[in-house]
Amino acid sequence: MAMESELITADMVEASEYPELSELYQVYGVPLTVANEKVRVEGGMPEQVFISQILQGIGVSPMVSEN
Amino acid sequence: MALLRDADRENLRQELSKLQNPVKLLFFSQALNCDYCPLTKQVLEELVSLSDKIQLQEYNCAIDRDAVAQYKIARVPAIALVRVEPPKLLVTGNEPSRERDYGIRYYGVPAGFEFAALVGDIMDVSLGESGLSDQSKAALRQLKEPLHLQVFATPT
Repeated sequence: MAMESELITADMVEASEYPELSELYQVYGVPLTVANEKVRVEGGMPEQVFISQILQGIGVSPMVSEN
Repeated sequence: MALLRDADRENLRQELSKLQNPVKLLFFSQALNCDYCPLTKQVLEELVSLSDKIQLQEYNCAIDRDAVAQYKIARVPAIALVRVEPPKLLVTGNEPSRERDYGIRYYGVPAGFEFAALVGDIMDVSLGESGLSDQSKAALRQLKEPLHLQVFATPT
């Protein structure tokens, strides 16, 4: 995803090595993705579902405009 | 002792032979209070030994403050993946090589699933293709504000 937009940065975090961070974001299961420090998306899922959950979570409508 | 088994090493070498543009791994470490820095370094050294298209550059977070700021490194050990772009023209010869930074970072030892993910990302960054569907790419183009993703994983 980070490759597709200059606005996106992506950190892969090894949860067990950073307990403070894992506690902050309440990482109880992996994978857990946190978007903009507030939106949590848990578990693995198809790409499309994942992207729309992230975008909806941060308030971007995932609907593609027709015009 | 080597971390990678011989069979894995050979498979990886084959996989990495598909690399096109060189990829530089910027490894950020520090001497004190970093339990996982030595292991991360060993993983990366074994990985770069398998392809001449992968370069490793090490930074010390206590000293290389400018690089830490430039690449927005939050903690150690950290790895930033950048593609080394070919020079624009062949005229001067002493033009510094340019980098393409997609904003991909790894925090912690890249072991297990994380190692496989790192290898996959190296391939993607080298080839300049994310592998996402056209629909996903279109959806991501709707972004107007920065999006910071943090993906938490464990090695097993």
